[in-house]
Amino acid sequence: MRTLRKIAFLIEEFVTASPAQHLLDRFLIGYSLHGSFHRIPDLEVSVYLIVSSESDFGSRPEDFPLRIEPTAEQAVAHADAVVIVSRRPGAVANEAFLNVALRNAPEGSACFVYGALANSLASARQFTALAASRKIALLASTPISVTWRLPAIDLTPGTPLSEALIVVQVSAQAAQASPPFPPASLRGAELHALEGLLPVIERRRGGETGVRSIRFLEGKDLWRAGDKGLWPRPLLASALSRSHTPQGNALLDGRTEDLLGLGLVPKLARNPRGWLLEHRDGLRSAILFLDGVVSDFNFAVRALDGSVISAQLLRGAPPAEHHFSRLTGIVEDFFRTGTAPWPIERNLLIAGLLETFAKPTSLSGQAVRTDELSVAY
Amino acid sequence: MKTSKLAWTRRQFVSTVGSAATAAFVADAKAFSAVPKAKENTGKRRIALIATEARKYSHAQHFIDRVLEGYGWQGRHHRPQLELAGLYMDQFNENDLSRERASRHRVKIYPTVEEALTLGRSKLAVDGVLIIAEHGSYPRNERGQTRYPRHEFFQRTAKVFEESGRAVPVFNDKHLSTDWEECVEMVQTAKRLGFPFMAGSSLPVTWRIPSIDMPLGTPLEESVCVCYGTIDSYDIHGLETAQCMSERRAGGESGVKSVQAIRGKAVWQMLEERKNTQKLFFAALSRSFTCRGRYSTALPDLEWLKDNHEHPVAYFLEHFDGFRTSVFLLTGLVSDFTYAGLKRGNGEIVSCQMYLPMPPALSTVADFFNPLVNHIERMILNHVVPYPVERTLLTSGMVISAIESLYRGHALVETPHLKVAYKALDQSSFWRA
Repeated sequence: MRTLRKIAFLIEEFVTASPAQHLLDRFLIGYSLHGSFHRIPDLEVSVYLIVSSESDFGSRPEDFPLRIEPTAEQAVAHADAVVIVSRRPGAVANEAFLNVALRNAPEGSACFVYGALANSLASARQFTALAASRKIALLASTPISVTWRLPAIDLTPGTPLSEALIVVQVSAQAAQASPPFPPASLRGAELHALEGLLPVIERRRGGETGVRSIRFLEGKDLWRAGDKGLWPRPLLASALSRSHTPQGNALLDGRTEDLLGLGLVPKLARNPRGWLLEHRDGLRSAILFLDGVVSDFNFAVRALDGSVISAQLLRGAPPAEHHFSRLTGIVEDFFRTGTAPWPIERNLLIAGLLETFAKPTSLSGQAVRTDELSVAY
Repeated sequence: MKTSKLAWTRRQFVSTVGSAATAAFVADAKAFSAVPKAKENTGKRRIALIATEARKYSHAQHFIDRVLEGYGWQGRHHRPQLELAGLYMDQFNENDLSRERASRHRVKIYPTVEEALTLGRSKLAVDGVLIIAEHGSYPRNERGQTRYPRHEFFQRTAKVFEESGRAVPVFNDKHLSTDWEECVEMVQTAKRLGFPFMAGSSLPVTWRIPSIDMPLGTPLEESVCVCYGTIDSYDIHGLETAQCMSERRAGGESGVKSVQAIRGKAVWQMLEERKNTQKLFFAALSRSFTCRGRYSTALPDLEWLKDNHEHPVAYFLEHFDGFRTSVFLLTGLVSDFTYAGLKRGNGEIVSCQMYLPMPPALSTVADFFNPLVNHIERMILNHVVPYPVERTLLTSGMVISAIESLYRGHALVETPHLKVAYKALDQSSFWRA
């Protein structure tokens, strides 16, 4: 186990309820972990914040061992670990920060990136190689990949899967029962969806094989594709059954109606969009952005034997958003052991998918081959 | 206290219920016909729902809608094998939803409890009864307790059973009554007529985070719940949060010997003196998602609480076997329900949050009612209760005695009448699938 004496934060903004605040406060002030309050003793935290960005450190520098450094290089010097946090939702990586960290942090340290590891598969690979050359352990994540699931299920390793689906949203759904800080961009929602789905499906028989093709659908085309079985309606039903936040009449009077069974989903959905992914081993997965239908994240997967498991990915209420406590506990373990809790290839695949999703040619409505995404792990 | 209408004294109750309460209340229909044995059923069972008022997010709305519309359960939208055949509403709020529901689903609202149970005929015509007497405008007694008509609805239901020569399963939402004699009478009546009787809060059956169980026979010595809300309202939820874990301890539940309730800064003094309780208090608090200290991620310490939280309420209970339960109502500090229990010997603490996605902040539909309605459905279909009604009998008595303690200026109230002994069932009933 490594000793943690100094952690450096390189952050784009520090405002209340930002990912930077959630992560920095947990390392600086402490957090709930495994049924008790946990604070790393004698930990020095140094911060580099982009000049001119928002900052609201309050009395933290007076109350806790927090140092604001003038440069990113100075912040990471002599650090045992580095945390890089871009703006919420973390879908656009700050590659300059990562470059500084991997070139200037001590050999043998560890680096955690909140959100996407990098903005392309190629740069993610370059950073991974650079980290390895400098013996710096590297990891990226959001809380979605590690949060509590309702129910607390996981896929049994080696389960043969046939289909998978996740429902997320792009922006706040309603004045009522809004989730804590939704992604607020399609790219953010894509990141959350991949962070929710990949940790489940990568446990299937044979592991993750990479993605052979992607297809973007929206509006009526998305529903027609569902009618044709291009994405699994039964899995949408199962995923929606896990939601605590059905919209529509539930907002009006609290009723618990069957949104899909009553045909309400297409009526409620605002600007419905989706990505259909075909993995290289034949698994089909679907990411549906259903603003206006529910306002929480829910997934469902079907095994080859027909059995279905589904769950909600729980996000804790503001202001604490305790799913960040789960993430911090895992990041702290990573810093202490130098061992990543999942293969870095998950982060590579996410970076590659986000890059591909962002290409105008990917939005044609037709299947697009993605040979470059043969990231297996 | 009111005199029980039935000749049933506390002593008789203690000796009878205390020894016989380990059974799971499988219906004994010796004197009554048409109470089916436990079996798998395929057809829908008709039920009557007797409620005080139905408006958005009232308890009655939650129950009515789950029966009529279905709800998410085990990865699908589940439509209960129940038909809401008779509805009785005691009050119609200006935002009443019962008439809209009744109209849209063709459910008849009857003018009396009896007609809802008999569907306007001469004899009982339903297979199960839900009594949802929470919310609505009802008088308060001198101790500040709202006199919801749970006991009245129950007794009128039981009278129909007796007159019909048939009894069916009954669910009573939340605590039984604000009067101990009435609580006893309700349980005794259910036993006498031999029908499954289920009651209580949704807290014992909702999600737990983490999803832990208390193994039956665990050598526990103390339980703490940290929660929020007001007396005679949310205290029952806090007590049931603790009790659904405590009852699984080695030896089972022995009943409660004394109750002391404290309001104000004296709570923090008591916590300072009771070191084990203090450990459990902070362990429970660490499971909260909503604790509001100086910083959102940090737990407050006792000194901060003394300075910043001036209106705590706490119930301290001692059980007959020496076990201790404490419940802290900390409105303003937390808005969730957390639990911690101390194991005897090794000092290990077991803790979790009983997750209550409360609308409108955390949900739109209060899904913690889903497992409760599912348990009710299975009770009506199979005539087996998921947990002994003695749990809610005891927690009802705890609430009554705690309020008595507050009324008497934080006096320690001896509670020999709460010698309600029972054993939990092997299978826990919380939501985990």
